Amino acid sequence: MIAAEKSLAGFKSLLVIIVLTSCCLLGFASRLFAVIRFESIIHEFDPWFNYRATHHMAENGFYNFLNWFDERAWYPLGRIVGGTVYPGLMITASSIHFILNSLNISIHIRDICVFLAPIFSGFTSLAAYGLTRELWNERAGLLAAVMMAIVPGYTSRSVAGSYDNEGIAIFALIFTYFLWIKSIKTGSLFWSSCTALSYFYMVSAWGGYVFIINLIPLHVFVLLLMGRYSKRIYIAYTSFFILGLIMSMQIPFVGFQPVRTSEHMAAAGVFALLQAYSALLFIKSNSTAVNLGRLILFATVGAAGFVFLVVVTLTYAGYIAPWSGRFYSLWDTGYAKVHIPIIASVSEHQPTTWVSFFFDLHINICMFPYGVWLLINNINDERAFIVLYAVSAVYFAGVMVRLMLTLTPVVIILSSIAFSTTFDKYLYYDEDEEEGDESEKEKKEIVSPRKRDKAKQKEVTRSKFYIGDVGANTKSMVVMVLAMLLMMFAVHSTWVTGSAYSSPSVVLASSNPDGSRTVLDDFREAYYWLRQNTHENARIMSWWDYGYQIAGMANRTTLVDNNTWNNSHIALVGKAMSSNETAAYKIMRELDVDYVLIIFGGAIGYSGDDINKFLWMVRIAEGEHPKEIKESEYFTPNGEFRVDRLGSPTLLNCLMYKMSYWKFGLMQMDFRTPSGYDRTRNAEIGNKDFTLDVLEEAYTTEHWLVRIYKVREPNNRVKSLQIKRHESGIKKKTKYYSKKSSKRKRGQIKKKLKIVKGKKLRKSKSKGKKKNL
Amino acid sequence: LNNKIKQLLEWNMRRSIIRMNGEKFKTYIKSGPRNYSVIVMLTALAPQRQCSICRLVANDEYKVVADSWRTSQMYSSKLFFAVVDFDEGQDVFATLKLQSAPTFIHFPPRGGRKKADTFDIQRHGISAEGMAKWIGERTDIHIHVFRPPNYAGTLALGFLLTLIGSLLYMRRKNLEFLYNKSYWAMAALFIVYCMTSGQMWNHIRGPPYAPRNPQTGEISYFHGGSQGQFIVETHIVAILYVIFFFGVLILNEKVPTTDDSRKKQLFAMAGLGIVIFFFSLLLSIFRSKYHGYPYRCVIKLVFLYSVRVRVEERFSLDLSLFFSLLIR
Repeated sequence: MIAAEKSLAGFKSLLVIIVLTSCCLLGFASRLFAVIRFESIIHEFDPWFNYRATHHMAENGFYNFLNWFDERAWYPLGRIVGGTVYPGLMITASSIHFILNSLNISIHIRDICVFLAPIFSGFTSLAAYGLTRELWNERAGLLAAVMMAIVPGYTSRSVAGSYDNEGIAIFALIFTYFLWIKSIKTGSLFWSSCTALSYFYMVSAWGGYVFIINLIPLHVFVLLLMGRYSKRIYIAYTSFFILGLIMSMQIPFVGFQPVRTSEHMAAAGVFALLQAYSALLFIKSNSTAVNLGRLILFATVGAAGFVFLVVVTLTYAGYIAPWSGRFYSLWDTGYAKVHIPIIASVSEHQPTTWVSFFFDLHINICMFPYGVWLLINNINDERAFIVLYAVSAVYFAGVMVRLMLTLTPVVIILSSIAFSTTFDKYLYYDEDEEEGDESEKEKKEIVSPRKRDKAKQKEVTRSKFYIGDVGANTKSMVVMVLAMLLMMFAVHSTWVTGSAYSSPSVVLASSNPDGSRTVLDDFREAYYWLRQNTHENARIMSWWDYGYQIAGMANRTTLVDNNTWNNSHIALVGKAMSSNETAAYKIMRELDVDYVLIIFGGAIGYSGDDINKFLWMVRIAEGEHPKEIKESEYFTPNGEFRVDRLGSPTLLNCLMYKMSYWKFGLMQMDFRTPSGYDRTRNAEIGNKDFTLDVLEEAYTTEHWLVRIYKVREPNNRVKSLQIKRHESGIKKKTKYYSKKSSKRKRGQIKKKLKIVKGKKLRKSKSKGKKKNL
Repeated sequence: LNNKIKQLLEWNMRRSIIRMNGEKFKTYIKSGPRNYSVIVMLTALAPQRQCSICRLVANDEYKVVADSWRTSQMYSSKLFFAVVDFDEGQDVFATLKLQSAPTFIHFPPRGGRKKADTFDIQRHGISAEGMAKWIGERTDIHIHVFRPPNYAGTLALGFLLTLIGSLLYMRRKNLEFLYNKSYWAMAALFIVYCMTSGQMWNHIRGPPYAPRNPQTGEISYFHGGSQGQFIVETHIVAILYVIFFFGVLILNEKVPTTDDSRKKQLFAMAGLGIVIFFFSLLLSIFRSKYHGYPYRCVIKLVFLYSVRVRVEERFSLDLSLFFSLLIR
């Protein structure tokens, strides 16, 4: 009997290992769409900078990286890279590179960067398994691991090539929470130090660490309110807080923020409160007075109020920075739109529609409320944490699409708990009925808990799972339908990952009518042209979206890039793009611009081009230069933004318009449409015939997607006064007459005007007379 | 001219917005000479005119702008704010050929009015900030909008808190309900459903409730694209989510606690039916919004399964594959 149990336990752990390993493989494999379709390439915008920085670190070493001043970005300001990035991602990738290379496995750093996020997705599902196991049971944990590996909300930021902070940060987030739950449960110093270490990794990786440092104190605070204070919580929190605080301050980019900004004050406040509370408890335990309960209550409330007041006073006194705009906009949802257009302009910062919730989470979005319900009804210390996590994350995800990423893990965990509970009930059979083996892999993982638990179930958990005589048919139907919903989720995830989240956006693909794919490689074509044909120190002006790519692929100096730290510099570029040629030329000369790069999608119907982003340029420019740039001037009197004949003249003559449509009016794409037909905006452009005086076209890619212009040198000859007079608005009163004509020679006054007092000199009369003659 | 300015300033001392009738309008605004700009709100404040925007929104926002101007340091006789009510100056409306209220018009010191001198509510929106921006564009006077701090919200919050506090105090003998987990769960689920059904999007973007097509008079309940949504749509979705939740609840908590075997079976089937039906409904709504989504709802498949009809071609390949796996 004992031997049988032992073998069963061995079989069980083997199964767990197999399932978890296949989870990792599944997570890795399902993220390779882009690599298979295109090639092993870095995606999007930010990853290009991360790649460039990692490359720098791998070549020059860690300390050189920390001291790196990048003079090729934000010309002429430059950027201190070492102090303005979260280095965790680069350290992770380059240390993997270092280890592999020292093992004589030579691999290019780029390949490590490309495959880093898929590898970490496997770790994330392991962490999700651990967290769910701590919260509920192992069966739910396994389900959570599987779902975590494929859920689109997480895949969106971790496909191969998406080499970004979030790729490793979600792992760090879930792992920190797992360790926190562990330390709350055990109250051991070991686990809370591990929590602090994991938190340190998270701080080094992503700005979202603020979420952890607010959620854990909130958890502790709520536990205090619930009267669930214990020594375990005290040990876990105080050691985590101190260690985490000291370690997080080691990251150069974070620096003294943990003691100087409001975002971190909740943690410090709860720390102080916890000290006060435990001190009071200590007094109580040593005193002989009977009725100290009320006193303790009031003292605690007083201490909380005092801590709060201290923080508020320090904020007013200026010792603590108030909430920064990015975080503040989460609370006051209208704030960003009014005050920080640069945040509002990013599509990731828009609020979330119900469609995107459903798109990213599918069945789980319906199922996870039941998980919340279950946990609240069976609450204990650690479950309170996950409930708080769920409620706060769902709020943040509602405000910003981007934060869907932090919501996804908790939804998966809770919905897997909900699914698992239901399966527990409906898969429990009194008789030893055997079910046919399922060939579907997903199915197997779902069914497997039943097999493993069969031995125990009979004796121990019969009362818990037994739901009575429902009938085998009904039971199997319920199980089958739920399994089918899960399968639909798997199919949905695969489709979403393949179709929506796997385009590198550096290489575009379009499908032909016959179903074959055409790859548009215009971006790389243009960047490579820049790399090959321009001077090494050439300065390229473009909108900030393309800054990182230009720096990464073309290796040229840029004026602004995706690290939008200097709003006024961006506004200056926006102003150059949105003013007319003369004004723009002045700005471009001031900024030493050599080339201007723009994205134009009108020829192939690419909607993410600069004309469509143009209004944001105008808005951002208007924010800094309200006198020169006015958004309303770019609209038609009816308030429309249109590029055709009815468009506003300011728009039709601004630099961006001219650069986009230079010589486009001569091109006829299709015999059905007139020449100069913009396929993105479905309009024939309004200004076809114009000259470009201060720029000359340098390069246009195959599909016109990227256009590069060279800024002309100033003329050798200084412009004559004539033009100046023209510009200053003084109009010449008389016509210019050639001196050579016979009649009007110098010195002759024809029909001299008579001056009569009180009357105007009249010239027209004499003209009229002449006509009559 | 000096007399006019004097008079206007005197009025302005008393009120930030000068109330005008047809006669005053003629002398102070319509006829020259002037060296000051006037912003005029033409409105209909009388309740019987039934212009709720005029009374509730436009008037307050306009007052905010005018007050900020009067209290600002740049305050001078360059700019005045005036209001003409329809019932006091119908002739003004007639001369300006206005059909609708509220309308904001800027009368520049010299020269005729241009098209842009009429405030475009569609574009700027009726907000004090939008108006200040427009005034800045037209007159080069930049008014920094200063809203009187809104005590109403704070007061309401304080009132609510004291109400809750006093209720708690009154019932201090019986605080059991605070320990009721169901209440807390319901509160948490309320937040969850608000957010997942996109109420925050509604709050930030302010979509129409259920727009009516002006041509056909048809009311559309669902936004056609995946980028937008209507308020009624989010309510429908939230209700579907809640019903789905009840389906799961029946399956998990109603079935085990029922005694009768037949009733158990009935409840189980009902819960299952709710889960399938409402999830399919959600999926089909999602499908109609997310164009090109290839997977069909399960509802028909399950129906087919129960009556054992063969899978038809029109179902997508993947699902029929699964389906055949299932019925094997």
